[in-house]
Amino acid sequence: MKPLKLVGTLGALSLVLTAVSCSSTPSALSPANPVTITFSSYTYGVQGAAGTGTQKLLDAFAAAHPEVKVVPQSIPTADVLTKAKTDTAAGNPPDVVQIGYSKLAEAFQTLPVQSLEQIAGNEWKDHVSGINQALVNTGKKDGRVAALPFTVSIPTLFYNADLFRKAGLDPNRPPTSIDEVRTDAAAITASGHKGAYFGVVDSGKSDYLTQSVIDSAGGSTVGTDGSVTVDSPEAVRGLSSVQSLTRDGLQPAVGLDDATASFSSGDLGMFVVSTAVAGSLQKAAAGKFDLRSAAFPSFGAGKAAPTFSGAGLIVLSQDQAKQKAAWEFVKFLTSAEGYSIVTKNIGYLPLRADLADDPKYLKDYFASNRLLLPPLGQLAEVSPYRNFSGQNPNQAVVILQDDAVAPIVLRGADPQKTLSAVAGRIRELSGK
Amino acid sequence: MHPTDRLRPAVAHALWHLVLAGASLAMAFPMLWSLLTSFKGPQDVFSPSPLPWPATLDNYAAVLSSWPVGMLVGNTFIMSAGVAAGQLVIAVLAGFALVVLAPRMRPAVLSACTIALAVPPQAIIIPQFLLTTRLGWQNSELGLIVPQLGTSALAVLLLVEHVAAVPAAQIEAAALQGARPIETLWHVVLPAIRPAILAVGILVFITTWNEYLWPLLIAPRSHDATVQIGLAQFQGEGGTDYGALMAASVLTSLPIVVVYIIASRRIIDSFIKAGLRP
Amino acid sequence: MTQKAGWRPYLAPLILALAVWVYGPAVFTAVLSVMKWNLTTPPSGLVGLDNYASLFRHPEFARAAGQTILSALALLPFATIIPLVLAVMLWQRPGRASVVYRALLFVPVVVAPVAVATAWKFLLNPLQGLMNRILEVFGIPPVNWLGDPGTALLVLVAITAAKVVAFNLVLYTATLSGIDRALVSAAELEGATRWEISRFIVGPHVARTTVVLALLSVVLAGQWTFTSVSVLTQGGPDGVTDSVYYRIYALGFQFFDTGAASAAGVLVLLAFAVLATAWSVVRRSRRASH
Repeated sequence: MKPLKLVGTLGALSLVLTAVSCSSTPSALSPANPVTITFSSYTYGVQGAAGTGTQKLLDAFAAAHPEVKVVPQSIPTADVLTKAKTDTAAGNPPDVVQIGYSKLAEAFQTLPVQSLEQIAGNEWKDHVSGINQALVNTGKKDGRVAALPFTVSIPTLFYNADLFRKAGLDPNRPPTSIDEVRTDAAAITASGHKGAYFGVVDSGKSDYLTQSVIDSAGGSTVGTDGSVTVDSPEAVRGLSSVQSLTRDGLQPAVGLDDATASFSSGDLGMFVVSTAVAGSLQKAAAGKFDLRSAAFPSFGAGKAAPTFSGAGLIVLSQDQAKQKAAWEFVKFLTSAEGYSIVTKNIGYLPLRADLADDPKYLKDYFASNRLLLPPLGQLAEVSPYRNFSGQNPNQAVVILQDDAVAPIVLRGADPQKTLSAVAGRIRELSGK
Repeated sequence: MHPTDRLRPAVAHALWHLVLAGASLAMAFPMLWSLLTSFKGPQDVFSPSPLPWPATLDNYAAVLSSWPVGMLVGNTFIMSAGVAAGQLVIAVLAGFALVVLAPRMRPAVLSACTIALAVPPQAIIIPQFLLTTRLGWQNSELGLIVPQLGTSALAVLLLVEHVAAVPAAQIEAAALQGARPIETLWHVVLPAIRPAILAVGILVFITTWNEYLWPLLIAPRSHDATVQIGLAQFQGEGGTDYGALMAASVLTSLPIVVVYIIASRRIIDSFIKAGLRP
Repeated sequence: MTQKAGWRPYLAPLILALAVWVYGPAVFTAVLSVMKWNLTTPPSGLVGLDNYASLFRHPEFARAAGQTILSALALLPFATIIPLVLAVMLWQRPGRASVVYRALLFVPVVVAPVAVATAWKFLLNPLQGLMNRILEVFGIPPVNWLGDPGTALLVLVAITAAKVVAFNLVLYTATLSGIDRALVSAAELEGATRWEISRFIVGPHVARTTVVLALLSVVLAGQWTFTSVSVLTQGGPDGVTDSVYYRIYALGFQFFDTGAASAAGVLVLLAFAVLATAWSVVRRSRRASH
C-alpha cells in the first residue's frame, strides 16, 4: 500500500509544480484549414429561448466564417467560473468564456484573460464605437479592455396592471420613485394582495440589485479609490427604505423564488428584478394578467441609477491563431447583427444605441415588445457594476448579500449596525 | 387463541396499513407533486393547486423534441452501471478476502475503509480532478468511472457483513472438495449474498446517477453530458421552466424505477422462491 | 483454513482504488492546507497554519461544525430504527400491498435532487405553498419554512431524512431476506408472538447491519445533507443550514480559496480521528472492567 500511496501523492504534487506551456505558431485563417476554438457559455444548451437564441448566433457565425470552428460547451450559470478555473488548472482553458459581471474581477485576477484591444489591433476603434461605453469600460483589465458586453440586463419594475386597477390605481402611471412604490404597494395590499417585492436578495448571490438601490440612493458599494463604502449613509438609507416596505407589511419577507411564484400567479403587484426574466414572466402572465414594466425607481432626490447584470465575453487563448479566431467570434457576437439576434431571440437588451431605432435591426421588434422599452431608456445612463478589490471579490459579495442584505431586508436587522459590521469584514478581506 | 383475541389481528392489520400508507405518502409526495406539475401549462405552474387542470402534454412534447433525453440517459447509464459494477467487483473480492482468505486483515482494512469514507469528498475533488486530467482521462468514460471507484469503501463495509453471514461449513465443504478460492466465491458465496449485492448495487447506481459536480468537471462536451447536468439546463438566468423541468425529471427517473423494480424482485426473491407468500 | 494463500489479488483492487483516489488526494489536500492557492496562479510557499487560523477568525466555521453534529444526531434514528421498523413490517406481511409500499417508500431515492428541491420549494412556499394552505385550514398562521432561521435546519434535516430512510430500507430488506422462513413458521407453530419473533429471530439477525448503518450514519450524515443544502438553502438563512461540507465546497468552488478549503477538510478528518480514538478508549476500558 505504501509505495502506491507515494506514487499517487508524487503524481499529484507534480501537477501543481508543472507550468502550463503553449506553443504558438501563427498562421492565416482559412476555410480549408479551420481553427477550432471552444466557447464556454451558460446560455448555450439552455432549454428555451436562451438556448435556441445562442444556437442561432452560432449558426449565423458558422455560415459567415467557415475558417473558424466553434465548439460550444453548455455550463450552468453558477458554475462558469468554476469550470473555467478547473480547466485552466488542468492546462486546458476554454478559448472564449461568457462570464458573469459579478465574477469578472475574479476572472481577471486568476485566469489568463487576454486584452481584446491588443488582439483586435487596428480593428478595435471602429468595432467598439457604438457599443455602450459604461459597459465597455467595465471590462477593463489593467487599463485595457479585456471583456466586451454580451448578454446584459438591468433591473426594472414589472407590475400587474390588473392589480393596479383593482386597487384603484392608474395602470398607465406606474411609480417612478421608492415613495410612490410605497403608496401604490399600500393600496394593492389594502385590496387583498401582496404589494411590492425588490429582488435584492438574489438567489445567485449577486449584488447587482443591491448596487442599483445603493447607487440610486446616491451612494456606492465601492468608492472611486477602491475603498469599501457599503456602510455609507446613502447605502444605509437605500437599504432602509427597502426594509421599511417589509416592516410595514407591503413587501413579503420571502426569497426571490417564492416571490417569482407569487408574481407569476398574479398575486403580487410590483416586482423589481432583472429584465433577464421578462420572457418567463411573459409566459406565465399570458392570458392571465396584464403584465407591464416601468423604469427602475429613484430613491430620494437624485435620478435612478441602476447598474446591470449579465455577462461579458473574455478570451483566454494563448495561441495566436486561436486568439485571432476568438476575436473573429467575439467581434461577430458583439456586432450589430450579433446583438440583434441576442435581443430578438433571448430578450437581453441591445448594447448598441442605434439598433432599437434601426429598421434593419430591431425597430420592428421594439414596436411589438413594449416590455423592454422602459429599461432600454435607462440603459444609456446605467451605472457601472462595481467589483470589490482584493483577492476575494466574490467572497465579499456573498458576505454582503448573506450577512447584510438578507437579514436587513427580510428579517428586520438594524441597517446601520449590520452594514458597518459587514463593511469591516469586507475591508479585512480586501486588505483595505 | 382466545375468542376475545379475534379482533386483534384485524386491528393490527389496519394499523399496519395506516403506518405504511402514511409513511409512503409522506415519502412519495414530492414525487407525486413533480408528476402532477409536469402536466401543467406555463400559466398554471405557479398555481397553488396541485391538480394540473387543464392538463397538457406540452411539457413532454417540448422536452422530447429539444432535449437529448436518450443521449443523456445513455451517458448516465454507462457511467452509473460502470461505477456500480466496478464497486461491486472490488467489494465482493475484498469481502471474500477479508472473511475467508485473510481474516486477520479485516480490522485494519475495514478501518481504512471507514477513514476513507470520513474524508470529505468536496475536499479531495480538486486533487482527484488534476490526477484524472493528468492521466488524459478528461472527456472519457474512464475519467467518469474510475475515480468514482474510490467510494468502494461503502460497498465493502456493507457487503463484508453479508459474506461473514455465509455459513462457514459451506465454504469449508467446497474447499474440502478441492474448489479453488475463486470457485468457492463464485459457487458458494455469490449465490448466498445475491440480495445484498443487488441492494448495494442499486444504491451505488442511483448515487452515481445523481452525481453532479464530477461529471460537470470531467465531461464538458455537450454530447458527454449526464442527466443532472442536462436538468440544470432548464434553469437559466432567464428563470426556470418548471413544467419542462418536472417532465424531464420524470422521464429520466423512469429508467431508475425500472432498474429498481427488476432488482427489488430479486432482493426479496429468496423467500418468494421458498413458497412462503401468504 | 487451508485457503489463506493468495489473498493479495482479491484485496489489491480495493487498496489500489482507495490509495489512488482517496488517500493520495487526501495527502495532497493536507499539503495544500498549509499553502495559499487559488487553482490557477502558482501556489504560494508554505504559510504555516494561516489557513486554519482563518477558519476560526470568524464564527462561521465553528457554527457550521455545530450544525453538522446536530444534523448528524438528528439523522441517526432515520438511518437505523425507522427503516428497520418499516422493513420488519414489510417483511412480516409479504404480498401485493408490501410490494406497493416498498416501491413508494423507495421514491425519494429515485427523484433527481434538483426536482426534489423544486418540489419542496413550491410546497413550502410561504405565500401560497400547499403546506401553509393546509395549516390555514386549521387556523395556523403561515410559516416561512426554509426562510426562517428557526425552522430551516429542521426542514432541511427532514427532507434529507426521507432519502436516508429510503436508502437504508433497501439495505434492511436485503438483510431480512436472509432469514430462514422455515424457522419463523416453526416458531409460530409453537405459539410465539409477533413480538417474540422480532425479538429472538429478527433482532439478532439485523444487529450487525444496524451497527454498520449506525456507524455509516455518523460518518456520512453530514455528506447526506450537503446535497439538500446546496440545492435548497445554500447555507442560509443567516447561516443556520450551513455545514462543514458546504463550507468546504463554498471555500473551494465559490471563493477558490483552496488552502482554506483543504484546511477545513483536514479538520473534519481530525475530528473523526478524535471521535474514533475516544470510542476505542471507551471500549477498551469497558472490556478491561469486565
